[in-house]
Amino acid sequence: MLISIDWIRDFTDVPNLPAKDIYSRFTLATAEVEDVVTIGEHLEKIVVAEILSFEKHPEADKLNLVTFKISETDIRKVVCGANNVKVGIRIPYAPLGVKLPNGLLLEAKKIRGVLSEGMLCSEEELGFAEESEGIMELSQDAPIGMNMLTYFKMKKDTILDIDNKSLTHRPDLWGHFGMAREFGAIFETPLKNKFTKEWATGLKKHFTLDSSPIKVRLDGESAALAYFGLSLSNVVVGESPEWLKVRLKACGLRSINNIVDVSNYVMLELGMPLHIFDRDLINGNEVVIKRLTAETVFKTLDEVDRKLEVGDTVISDTKGPLVLAGIMGGLHSGVSPATKNVFIEVANWKAALVRRTSTRLGLRSDSSQRFEKTLDSKLCERTMLRTLELILELCPGAKVVGGLEYGGMDLSLIPTLKIKTSLKKIQTVLGLDLSEEKLLSIFHALDFQTEKNNSEFFVTVPSYRSTKDVEQESDLIEEIGRIIGYDNITPKSPQDIIAPVKLTELQKIQRRVRDFMVLQGKSFEVMSYPLIGDTLLKHCSWPHSTSLKLVNSLSQEHDLMRPSLIPSLLEVCEKNIKHHDRFRFFEIGRAYQEDAKNFSKESLHLGAVFVDKDKNPFIDLMNVATNLLTSLNLSPEFVEMNTKFENALVPSEWIGIHPFEYQNIRVMGKFAGAVFSVHPLVLRNLKIKGHVTVFLFDLSLFTNYSAKDKTKYKPLNKFPISTFDWTVVAGADSLASEVLNACKKVKLKELRDVQILDVFESENKKFFTLRATLLDEAQTMTSEVLKSAESALVDATSKAGFNLK
Amino acid sequence: MKIFCPYKVKNIYEAVINMTHDLEKIKHDFLTKLHSLTKEADILNLKSEFTGKTGVVSELLKSLKDMNPEERKSFGPKANELKDFITEQCSLFLAKIEIEEINKKLALDRIDISMTENIQAKSIKSGGYHPRTIIQQEIEDIFLSMGFDVLDGPHIEDEFHNFEALNIPADHPARDMQDTFWFHDPQKTPKETKKYLLRTHTSNIQVRGMLSRKPPFRFIAPGVVFRSERTDASHEMVFTQLEGMMVGKDISVSNLIYFMKTILKEIFKRDVEVRLRPGFFPFVEPGFELDISCLICGGKGCSVCKQIGWVELLPCGMIHPNVLKAGGIDPEEYNGFAFGLGLDRLVMMRYGIDDIRHLQSGDLRFNSQFKLF
Ligand SMILES: [Zn+2]
Repeated sequence: MLISIDWIRDFTDVPNLPAKDIYSRFTLATAEVEDVVTIGEHLEKIVVAEILSFEKHPEADKLNLVTFKISETDIRKVVCGANNVKVGIRIPYAPLGVKLPNGLLLEAKKIRGVLSEGMLCSEEELGFAEESEGIMELSQDAPIGMNMLTYFKMKKDTILDIDNKSLTHRPDLWGHFGMAREFGAIFETPLKNKFTKEWATGLKKHFTLDSSPIKVRLDGESAALAYFGLSLSNVVVGESPEWLKVRLKACGLRSINNIVDVSNYVMLELGMPLHIFDRDLINGNEVVIKRLTAETVFKTLDEVDRKLEVGDTVISDTKGPLVLAGIMGGLHSGVSPATKNVFIEVANWKAALVRRTSTRLGLRSDSSQRFEKTLDSKLCERTMLRTLELILELCPGAKVVGGLEYGGMDLSLIPTLKIKTSLKKIQTVLGLDLSEEKLLSIFHALDFQTEKNNSEFFVTVPSYRSTKDVEQESDLIEEIGRIIGYDNITPKSPQDIIAPVKLTELQKIQRRVRDFMVLQGKSFEVMSYPLIGDTLLKHCSWPHSTSLKLVNSLSQEHDLMRPSLIPSLLEVCEKNIKHHDRFRFFEIGRAYQEDAKNFSKESLHLGAVFVDKDKNPFIDLMNVATNLLTSLNLSPEFVEMNTKFENALVPSEWIGIHPFEYQNIRVMGKFAGAVFSVHPLVLRNLKIKGHVTVFLFDLSLFTNYSAKDKTKYKPLNKFPISTFDWTVVAGADSLASEVLNACKKVKLKELRDVQILDVFESENKKFFTLRATLLDEAQTMTSEVLKSAESALVDATSKAGFNLK
Repeated sequence: MKIFCPYKVKNIYEAVINMTHDLEKIKHDFLTKLHSLTKEADILNLKSEFTGKTGVVSELLKSLKDMNPEERKSFGPKANELKDFITEQCSLFLAKIEIEEINKKLALDRIDISMTENIQAKSIKSGGYHPRTIIQQEIEDIFLSMGFDVLDGPHIEDEFHNFEALNIPADHPARDMQDTFWFHDPQKTPKETKKYLLRTHTSNIQVRGMLSRKPPFRFIAPGVVFRSERTDASHEMVFTQLEGMMVGKDISVSNLIYFMKTILKEIFKRDVEVRLRPGFFPFVEPGFELDISCLICGGKGCSVCKQIGWVELLPCGMIHPNVLKAGGIDPEEYNGFAFGLGLDRLVMMRYGIDDIRHLQSGDLRFNSQFKLF
């Protein structure tokens, strides 16, 4: 919103500070100033000159060398291209150093070899017209040397562009009068309130005892809170005076005609929008405010057909809607050059309903923007009287017919808000020493009345601040804090005791997992979108399942909550295989499932992926998985796929599972993860050649789990360890784990461990060399003990079908 | 008495000189021979030639017994020294020969010591954290050190925790501003049905955090949030945020400023000037925008700060009494402050990342720039 400091000065004497000081103090106290523009500064330096003579430029036919005076003794020369140069005319001259509104800064320069000392200006160059021809001719009695500001009886002005968003909660600041009160509080200058009771009484004297030609009727519940109407006759529509045009223009509005300009002026001054009808275009003798009961097409002032829905509030006559309440008037009942008689509407509307309709229509007007902020119905009458005052000023022949017509609630029933507070409370919350005198002066400057009761105050909030902005004590504290300036508060450490804090077990596990995957797994951490699309699921041949779906997604690529990390991980593989032959990455992210009771269930998964075009990375990832889980004290078990017990993390109906490279991970009897390779068929869809192995683990199972470190010291061995190696024959498909499992059947206290020493394949057979480690902690083992252990091991393996070689 | 005999003295002196001369000669002889030898056996022979039973040095030592005490005293240690020297030199030369022999064998087993992983095309070389993780953990640790717990909560949230409890009622414009992703059409779903959405801020955790503990407390809630916003270089529909609150007795705006200054000093690793100006957020009252003095120009004004010298960094304020009530806390007894911080912006500032979309692209050409080794 654009605010004119000149206009503010109608109501309070803003000190003559540099623009920068004004806007920075306003930013710190009230709302963000986005831009500052000073207007009229150039006019102060441009002066009246009289042309004495001119001659053709020696080198350019179309240019003249003009000699002129700006005082009897100060005679200057410029190069000028205008074709209306005449001896004796008075024209505006801009000396060197002036910056014109079009951005041109006048500097000494030679034009075709002749030095020019500034410029004779056109209307366009002065900023008075968008386009003009030739230099501007001033009247012949224009005093030579007088600056343009004085000559045109204009004032310099500073325009602040204030961020609308930062005024969302301040309906009172949407007009210059309210802004002036704010400036007064900030700069400690008194408010010149001309809108007194006497002023109102004076204007009401124009009311007559005639019956109003247009009555007001509220038909049922609608967006209306209060509706005032006033009829005037004999207005003369015409051009607005210069002062009015200047102010509208400064605030970004175009002048249309005096009547429309008055309605805009009053809105910009008092913050309440209003509407003026051509009364002769209202059919019947009343306006009816009601909600639409049928869809209607309505042409608004901006000549657009708007589709109104059932429930939208309109102001209608006998033939149909005239105004879309609080948003915009209709094209056909507006004021035109032919208008003689008018009807003025000043009303207040329910913010939420205005917002809903204007959002739906995508029609944000100056009016709707203000009503959305929740305006004060008590301000309607003042707005009406100010409009009347200005119309009478511009059209002295206009006459009021009747008096104020009103529909709506009894405004005297609007309760007055009083809030209790104390100096001590305000001091404590702000952390600031503050005198009672200062406190009261701020409240009073902001129009908050105070009554003292012992150490407490009862503060009466003005009605225009209590529509929703100020509700309670903390709001009062804000008023004091911002006017004092938060910079004036000294930072202090709080006094309370700090309780020891630490990360939760799950947070610690996450950090451990990340460290391990980066340092040991040599992997890069990625973060992918939790939002995926059906295309990706299909692409990964993910089995059909119901995923949680957004109703207002931005695209079909991102409208589902991922049910598993796997599709996201595969998408990352697909993306990177174009650039790398082998890579490793992991993500700690959430998977989302429907939940009958709580709508959704989120689990935190680790997904690690090793991709290699040549070498199968399954064993590498198995090693990382085993070591990671062991380092977390989770004692993982790796077990074969089992159709009876499904692992919820990897749906068994997914065709992406490799038939042989698959291991479930069980922790404390529960399936908590899996390591598996992705089936080449699915990889083919993703255009991936090579091997992709995934390690998936559900970290959320350990939300409150604190895995104990079970390590215990034992004295070092005193007796020698003995080893025994033997080689067995197995089928080509046999796994090392099968042979080792056979050894587990041997229950001997001396048997510490059996491991694979060597494997070789020959003639469709596998030969495993095993090494058993034997130790007795209490004594040296006798050769008898060793012999019986060895034969027990050999028996066990051959019993399982693995004969001694 | 003898020692004063001029003749005797001269005689002894001469004898010693002669013998010392002999020793020098022997030593020189030995070294010349030793240096010409390359075989273990030859060295062993040389050793016995000099120090063996009938060796030169051994003969000299034997002759000691024929000398008078003065001669013996002067000559004996020198002769023994020479014997030790010869033994030592022979061992040294023997070891040298052995090392050379072993080295010849080692040469056959030589590895290419330059073949480290770094130069191998097929090796897996490095790993690294996501830049968000780096910054988030750094900031979590700062807050932990100042007594703040770290909390997180659900991404899929109900209207109550995301809006109502934060003093954002149904008709509030903030609900538009936040461009929420919904799982139910808010217009078409009956009022009494609980409507779910993707959290638009981590403030949803504020309520859960307050309900789960008793004042005084401090915690932060970092995490991803969702906004239905078209993505471009500086906008994401999924991004990370950190919110925090501190609740206690008589918490003041001056405490808020103190904490923010201290924390920002840790984050930016230098003193940071801050200023508060009014800001409007439904869940705080008074609410502030906290600006920091521009780190690029130091507050003088530059293109980054739009010539103002200040950069808007974080929204904060004193917790609204309605929010405290929703969290089961009596606003008459306790109060506190809350603040929010955009983590992705800090990540981008720290590393000079020009496009926020890289963060979630999964493109390892991006992620691998943050390698740890
Ligand atoms: Zn700067």
